[in-house]
Amino acid sequence: MQHIHLNNVTPTFLEQEKIANSQIWNKEVVFNAGEKIQIVAPSGSGKTSLIHFLYGLRKDYSGTILYDKKSVSGFNADKFSTYRKKILSVVFQDLRLFAEQTVEENLSIKRILQPYHSTDKIDEMAEKLGIANKLNNTAKTCSYGEQQRIAIIRSLQQPFTFLILDEPFSHLDENNRKIAMQLIEEEALERNASIILADLKPIEYFNADRTLYL
Amino acid sequence: MKLSFKNIEPFLNSKQNKISRWFSYAGLGVGVLLLLCDLQMYININQLIKNKNTRKDGYDFISITKNITSKNMAKDNRFNMADIKEIQSQPFLDDAAPLIANQFRVKASAGNILPFSTDLFLESLNEKFIDTVPPEFTWKEGQLDVPIIFSSDFLEMYNVFAPSQDLPQLSEKSIASVPVILECYFNGGVQNFKARIIAVSDRINSILVPENFMLWANKSLANVTDVPASRVYLKTKDANNPELLSYLEQKDYRINKDKTKFGRIKQILQSVVTGLAGFGVLVILLAMILFSFYLQLMIARSKDNLQLLLTLGYSPGWLSRTVAKRWIPVYTIIITSVLVLTVFLQYCFQHFVLNNREEVSPLIDKSVWIVSAALLVLSIIINYRMVRRLLYKL
Repeated sequence: MQHIHLNNVTPTFLEQEKIANSQIWNKEVVFNAGEKIQIVAPSGSGKTSLIHFLYGLRKDYSGTILYDKKSVSGFNADKFSTYRKKILSVVFQDLRLFAEQTVEENLSIKRILQPYHSTDKIDEMAEKLGIANKLNNTAKTCSYGEQQRIAIIRSLQQPFTFLILDEPFSHLDENNRKIAMQLIEEEALERNASIILADLKPIEYFNADRTLYL
Repeated sequence: MKLSFKNIEPFLNSKQNKISRWFSYAGLGVGVLLLLCDLQMYININQLIKNKNTRKDGYDFISITKNITSKNMAKDNRFNMADIKEIQSQPFLDDAAPLIANQFRVKASAGNILPFSTDLFLESLNEKFIDTVPPEFTWKEGQLDVPIIFSSDFLEMYNVFAPSQDLPQLSEKSIASVPVILECYFNGGVQNFKARIIAVSDRINSILVPENFMLWANKSLANVTDVPASRVYLKTKDANNPELLSYLEQKDYRINKDKTKFGRIKQILQSVVTGLAGFGVLVILLAMILFSFYLQLMIARSKDNLQLLLTLGYSPGWLSRTVAKRWIPVYTIIITSVLVLTVFLQYCFQHFVLNNREEVSPLIDKSVWIVSAALLVLSIIINYRMVRRLLYKL
């Protein structure tokens, strides 16, 4: 997949004023593979909704979203799963980990679906992000910052063309933010993939090609 | 590494609610056992009954009459052509033919050899229905010799009263040498025929003459052409066919009870067997419902995890197939065990209860194999559809 095309997409629940001031809502927007896009979105502007729309989790919007030239409105759950396995990867704001499973299990359940990296590489990433010693702990016993790093590693284990990130560093310290950002950019570059990063304010160490205000 | 149920098992609460799961397995086992044993027992009984029938050439021949009661005795209780045509059109009958009786008075005597004389009746029947038809059982107009086929039952009756009347007892062979004179009375006269008993029939309780003789005699001597029949002979593959018995009952036709007594047993057994099979199916259904509760509960308890698996890219189609496949070995073990138990029970039944009677095989019938295979396939399909429905609803 080379493009995600937003054709006048507007959440059905958002105030007109916010839509009018947005560079994305109710506009023609195209995200291209390999492009690094920063979406700056103040609280309540529909940032998480946009991420969910792009990933196919919600349909409460007007307008159309096209993966290349295919409208996602006709996709069923099986069709979305093929995209989520190979083309789209995501870090949710609410992380969505298996709370009762170990960190190791949380990572492997995603990796075995469509392996891209070896387990050694995953261990290396865990080491880099400082959670190597947490692999055997259950996810619920990890701090929110640790869980955020688990979610980031989980998203980097698969092949993807678009990596969608929703406030991925909100609970990380400055040092870990930079390490995580660098890792994400390296992984995207390796795949010639696009990064769509949505956050409350611009992230200075993200070398974005474009910044859009939601 | 190929993805399997093992990979997703830790994310499902499949180990909880063990009791309802085991109860559903037990229920399935009991239901299938009931159904298979019931089917095998039905086959056993059919085999036992089949060998009790007096069948010839693979067919049963039975005669029917209209039931004569105090109410209808004043009426003509014979079969007309419409009745016969209706009987012939029944799908469970292979053929039907009327027995045509003489419409004139007949007297028989044995001439000078035996001091014996009696009023008699004659009948004719299509040759296809007669068990012993010698080539000389023919008659041509103008011929004074008339061949006769005599009922073996009548011969037996004659031999019972003959000694008390100072008459000689006769064997089937010697009866052929007794010349019988038939005196046929008609308006204003009598015509004599020389009759000869050329065969004895076990099947037909009558004194049979060739059909064309009867037609000629009725027309010439009694001036009757369209003779209603008192009796109709039926040719069927199974005189015990419950459909045939219900039809006869519904039409109030009378039949030799002895010939169909196994049919009545079969009717009763069929009701019992159908009831038991129904109960077996009900138990299987209840087991499946119980299992569906277990599945619903498991999926409800694992709902968050399953939704997250779908979010991560696991397809509901793959999840349904994988979760459903998990129970294929369970169903296979249950149904195979029940099949083995049915084989063992059939062997014991044939060996100990029937004392190795040859009519019943010690092995289970192939239909039991087919039914168990069908049940296995059905269980797997139903289970898959249940899982799929639940997962697509998430």
